[in-house]
Amino acid sequence: MDWMLDYAWLVPALPLLSAALIAAFGKLMPGKGSELGVLSLAVAFLLSVGIAWETFTAPAPMEPVEHAFEWSPLGGGFVIELGMLVDGLTAMMFLLVTLVSLMVHIYSREYMQGEPRFTFFFAMLSLFTFSMLLLVIANNTLQAIIGWELVGLCSFLLIGFYWEKKPNQDAANKAFLVTKFGDVGLIVGVIVLSVPMFGASGSPFNILELNQAAADGAIGQGTIVLGMLMIFLACVSKSGQMPLHVWLPDAMAGPTPVSALIHAATMVTAGIFLLARLYPVMAQSLLVMSVVAVVGVITLFFAGLVALVQDDLKKVLAYSTVSQLGYMMAALGVGGYTAGIFHLFTHGFFKALLFLGAGSLIHAVHSNNMSDMGAMRKAMPHTFWTFIVGSIALAGFPLTAGFFSKDEVLVAGQYWPYATGGLVFWVGLAAAFVTAFYMARVCFLVFWGESRSHHPPHESGRQMVAPLVVLAILSIASGYIGSPVWDDDNNFGTWTATPVLAEADYPFVADDELGTGLQGGGEVLAGGAQGQAGSASVLAVEGEEGEGLGAGSILHGPPSWHLDVLLMALAVFLAAVALAWRIYGRGKPEEDPTLNMGPLTTVLVNKYGFDDFGYRYIVVPVRDHAARWASWSSNVVLDGIVAGAGKLTRDAAMTTYRVLDQKVIDGGVNGAAFSAAWWSERLKRVQSGDVQRYAAVLVAGVIVLVVVFAAAR
Amino acid sequence: MDPQTAGWALVVALFLPLAGAGLLALIPARLDQQIRRAAVVITGVSFALVAAITAAFDFGDAGTLQFVTDVSWISAIDANFHVAIDGISLPLFFLTYLLTFLCAIYTLSNLPAPGKPKGFLGLMLLLQTGMAGTFVAFDLILFFIFWELVLVPMFFMIGMWGGPRREYASVKFFLYTLFASIFMLVAFLAIYFQAGAETWSIPELSAAAGVGGTTFQTWAFLGIFFGFAVKVPMWPFHTWLPDAHTEAPTVGSVLLAGVLLKMGTYGFIRIALPILPEGAMRFAPMIGVLAVIGIIYGSLCCLAQTDVKRLIAFSSVGHMGFVMLGIAAMNEAGIQAALFGNIAHGVITGMLFFLAGSMHERYHTREIGVIGGGMLVKMPKYGVLLTYVAVASLGLPGLAGFWGEFAAMWAAISPGGDLGDAYGGLYLGLVIFAAIGTVLTAGYFLWLLQRVNLGQPPARWADEPLDDVLRIEWVSWVPLLLLILALGVFPRLVFGVQDAAVTNLMSFVTG
Repeated sequence: MDWMLDYAWLVPALPLLSAALIAAFGKLMPGKGSELGVLSLAVAFLLSVGIAWETFTAPAPMEPVEHAFEWSPLGGGFVIELGMLVDGLTAMMFLLVTLVSLMVHIYSREYMQGEPRFTFFFAMLSLFTFSMLLLVIANNTLQAIIGWELVGLCSFLLIGFYWEKKPNQDAANKAFLVTKFGDVGLIVGVIVLSVPMFGASGSPFNILELNQAAADGAIGQGTIVLGMLMIFLACVSKSGQMPLHVWLPDAMAGPTPVSALIHAATMVTAGIFLLARLYPVMAQSLLVMSVVAVVGVITLFFAGLVALVQDDLKKVLAYSTVSQLGYMMAALGVGGYTAGIFHLFTHGFFKALLFLGAGSLIHAVHSNNMSDMGAMRKAMPHTFWTFIVGSIALAGFPLTAGFFSKDEVLVAGQYWPYATGGLVFWVGLAAAFVTAFYMARVCFLVFWGESRSHHPPHESGRQMVAPLVVLAILSIASGYIGSPVWDDDNNFGTWTATPVLAEADYPFVADDELGTGLQGGGEVLAGGAQGQAGSASVLAVEGEEGEGLGAGSILHGPPSWHLDVLLMALAVFLAAVALAWRIYGRGKPEEDPTLNMGPLTTVLVNKYGFDDFGYRYIVVPVRDHAARWASWSSNVVLDGIVAGAGKLTRDAAMTTYRVLDQKVIDGGVNGAAFSAAWWSERLKRVQSGDVQRYAAVLVAGVIVLVVVFAAAR
Repeated sequence: MDPQTAGWALVVALFLPLAGAGLLALIPARLDQQIRRAAVVITGVSFALVAAITAAFDFGDAGTLQFVTDVSWISAIDANFHVAIDGISLPLFFLTYLLTFLCAIYTLSNLPAPGKPKGFLGLMLLLQTGMAGTFVAFDLILFFIFWELVLVPMFFMIGMWGGPRREYASVKFFLYTLFASIFMLVAFLAIYFQAGAETWSIPELSAAAGVGGTTFQTWAFLGIFFGFAVKVPMWPFHTWLPDAHTEAPTVGSVLLAGVLLKMGTYGFIRIALPILPEGAMRFAPMIGVLAVIGIIYGSLCCLAQTDVKRLIAFSSVGHMGFVMLGIAAMNEAGIQAALFGNIAHGVITGMLFFLAGSMHERYHTREIGVIGGGMLVKMPKYGVLLTYVAVASLGLPGLAGFWGEFAAMWAAISPGGDLGDAYGGLYLGLVIFAAIGTVLTAGYFLWLLQRVNLGQPPARWADEPLDDVLRIEWVSWVPLLLLILALGVFPRLVFGVQDAAVTNLMSFVTG
C-alpha cells in the first residue's frame, strides 16, 4: 500500500479535474455537474483513507514522503518547485477536507436544487476543495501561498453567490479584502523566511528544510520573530482571530453548505494548519508563541460572548467558529501542537454537522432566525438528533469528540511553564461555560417551545439527512483516536508528529523552569507526571507507554486522563446547560435575558465596535480621503507641474518672440531701416537740382575750409 | 531556419509591417472592408513569421544573440544596423506581433470616428515596426530611431481617433516623451564619446564592465533614467498616461499599455544597467522608493476614479511600479521578475483595455456611476470575462499577474551588489509597502466589479438591448485570455526563456 503515498497528488488533482469538467460540461449532465463533484470527491476520499491508514500505521515518527519537480526557474539559480509533502499532518487534513467536502457536495445536491447558477456552485465547491488540498499538500511555502490565495478567491465567489443583493456583495468584498490584508503578512513572512535558506538548496521555500534549519538553530532570532509574526498575521485574518475576524460572521451571507465547508470546517483552519506546518520555526521564539497564545485566548473568550446575543442561527455558529479557532490558536501558542490540530480535526466534523443541520432548519422554515423556529424537534427528528449530537460535542460533553480535544487544549495550557499557560487554562475553561451556554440556548430556542415558523416545517430529504448522520457519528467517534480510551501506540499524537518535531526543542525553556511548569500542571493519572530533567522536546512521541511524560516533554505524548480537568469540564457543562434550561427551557426568545444586560448587551450587539471602527477608520480614510487626495495631487499638483512647465515654455517662447525677437532684434533691423529712410527723407532735400544753391553751398564750404585751416595754423 | 544564420528572417519580420503600411496606402480609401482585411493579413503573416522565428529559436542558448544582422550603416559616425534577439527580447517581440495582430482583427468591426481605416491601420503598422525594432535593436542609434519612430503614429492615433480631449492628450504625450528622450540622447552621446567614440554597439559597451567612472556613470544614468522613467511611467512622471490612455482609441490603449510602456523598462534592463552598472547601483534605492510610491499612489488614484478607462490607466502606474521594484533589486531574480511583470501586464492590461473599449461601444459611456451595475445580468459572458481579467490583474496566483509581483518582492528582500548591506532595512520596507499595495489593488478591482458587474441593471439600461461578447471579440480576445492562464500555470514559458539571457546580462552588472 506504500504506493498510495506516492500517488497522494491525485487527491488534489481529482477535484481540480472535476472543477474543470463541471465548468465545461456540467450543464449538459443530468445532475447538472453535481455528480462529477461527488464522484471525484468520493474517490479522493477513499484515497485519503488509504493514505491516512498508511501514515497512521507507520512507526512513529514517520519519515515524510516528499516529491517535487522544478516548476520554473526564478532567476539567480533559484527555482520554484511544485511538490507534495505527505506525512501524518497532511493525511489528517486530507481526511478532514475530503470527507467534509464529500458530505457537502452530496448535501448541496438537494439543498441547492432549483437555484440559479447551480453548476457554477458545484464547480466552485470542487475548485475550493482543490485549492485547499493544494495548500495542505504543499512542500514549499510558495505553493502554500498559491493554495492559500485560491481558497480566498473561492470563498469570495461563494460568499457573494447571491450577488444580486448589496449586503452579499459587501460581505464578499469584506472577506476578500480582510484576508488579503493578512496575505501581506504571508507574502512578507515567506519572503523573510526564505532569506536564510538561500544557501541551502535551489528552492529556498522548502518547508522541511526550513523546519530543520530552525530546529538546528541555524536561523537568527530576528528573522524568526519577523517572519513568523508576519505569517501569524495571515493566520489571524484567515482563521478569524481577533481583531481580523470581522469578515467571518458576515461571510454567512453565502449558501449554508459553503459556510459548513469553507467557513467552519476547512478554509478557516488553514491558519492553524500553516502554523502547525511551521511549528518547529515558531517554537524557536517565546515571543511568537506568547503572541499566538494571547491572541488565541482573547479570541476564544470574546467571540464566544458575542454568540450569546445573536438571533441568526448561522451567526451564532459563526461566532462559535471564531471562538473554537481561538482554542486551536491558543493551544499552539502554549506548546499544544497535538492538542491544537486535534481540536481542528474534531471541530471540523461537529461544526460542519451543525452548519449542515442549520441549513436543514433554514431550508425548512425559510429563515435564518431562531425567532422563526421553535419546536422543530417534532417536525424534523433526524435534524434534531444530529444537531444535538453536534451541540454536545461542541460544548464539550464528556466522551464526545469535542470533549477530548478541548480537554487537551486546556491541559496543554496547564503544562506550559509561562503565564500564557495559565491564561489558556482558566480563560479556556470559562469560555467552555459560555460555549455550553450558547449552544444550549440555541437548542432550546430552536427545538423546544412553540413553533413560530411561518411555513409548516418538514424534514429534509435523504441526501441532506445522510451527511448529517455520517457527521454525527464522527462527532463522537473522531475524538477517540486522540483520547486515553485509545490505548495504543499509534494514536493521534504519533500520527501527526513529524521527525523534525520530535527532535526540536524550545530553546528558551530552561531546565529548572520546566520542573515548576510541570508541577503546576496538576495530576496526571496515567503515565505518571514525574518530569525528569532534560531538554524540552517539542513532542515526546517517542516516550513509551508507562513512561508517559518522561523527558520533560511539554506536550503530552500518549493521551492520558486528567480527572481534575474532566470533572471541571463536566461541572461547567452541567452548570451552563442547567442555567440555559432555566432561562430558555420554555423556548421563548422574546424573554431572552442576554438581550437585557444593558451596556453589556449593547457592546456585544455592536460586536465590540470592530466593524464600525474598521469601516470608519480604515475603509473610509483609504477609499475616500487618501484616494481622493492622491487623485487630486496627481491631477492638480503633479500634472500642474507638467502643465506649468509647458506653459512656462510657451510663455518664454511668446516672450522671446514678442520682446526679444519682435522688439529688440527685429526692432533693431527695423530701426536700421527706419533710420535710413528718415535720413534719406532729410538728405534728399539737399539734392534739389538748383545750380545757384549748389554754387552758394560750394562757396560757403570753401570759406569754412579756409577759416579752419587758418585757425589750425 | 537556423538561428545562427537566418538574420534575414528577423529583418523581414521587422519591416514587413512597414512595407504593409506602404501597401495599404496604394488601396483606394473607399475600399473600407478590403483595407481592414488586408491589415489582418499583413499582421497575420508577420505574426506567423515571428511564430516561426520563435519556433526556430535555440532555447538552449537563449543567452546569446540569435538571428543577428550586423552591418555598417552610417559609417561616418560608426552606427551599425544591428538587430538580433535573445531570451530577453523574444517574449516582448512576440507579444508585440501578437497584440498588433489581435488589434487588426478587432478593428475589422470596431473603429471610432472618423473611421478612415486606411490611415488608422497604416499608422498601426508603422507603430508596429517602431515598437518591434526597439526590442531587437542592439545599436544605440538604431534603438533611438526606433524609439522615436513610435511617437509619431501614436500621436496621430490619439490626436485623430481619440476622445473629446484628444488634442490635448496627444500633444502632451508627444511632447513629454520627446522632451525626456532628449536627455536620453545626450546620455547616449556621452557614453559614445566616453567609450572612445568607436561604437554604439550595446553588447560591446556592456562588455566594457562599465563605461567611465562612477561620477560619469551617475550623470549618464540620470539622463537615461529620465528618458525611460517617463515612458514606464514612474511616479511622478506618470501624468501623461491617464490622459493618453483615456483619450486614445481602444487599439491605441491596448498597444500603449501592452507594448509601449514596456519599452521603458526594457531600456533600463538592456541599456542602462549593463552599460552603467555603477550608476545603476547608486540610483537603485531611489528607483525602488519611487516604484513603491507608484504602487501605493497609483492604487489610491484608482480608488478615486469614476471612469473605467482612466481607472485601468492608473492601475498601470501601480503595476509598472512592481516591474521597477524588480529592477531596483539589481539581481537576477529581480530582472526576471521585471521582465515577467512586463509580459503579464501587457497581456492583462491590454485585455482590460479591450474590455473597456467594448464597454464603451455598448454603453457609450465609461462612467461607473452611469453604468450602475448589473452587467452580469445584461451581458453575463462579458461580466465573467471582466471578473476573470480583473482577478488576474490583482495578482491572483495561478494567473499571469502573480509571478511578476511576487518575484519582484522576493527579489527585493536581498538586493544585489552591496545594496543589501547598505540599504537592507530600506528594501525590507519596500517589500512590506509593495505587499500592502496588493491589498489596495484588490480593493479597487473588487469595488469596480461590485459597481459595474453585480446587482441589477439600473432602469435606463434594463430594456436596452446590449450585445454580449461578439464573435469578432471572441476571436481577438481568446488568445489573451488563454495566455493569462497559461503564464500563470506555466511561468516557465517566460522565466525559462529569459533565464540564461538574464544571467548573461547581470554578469555585466554585478560582475
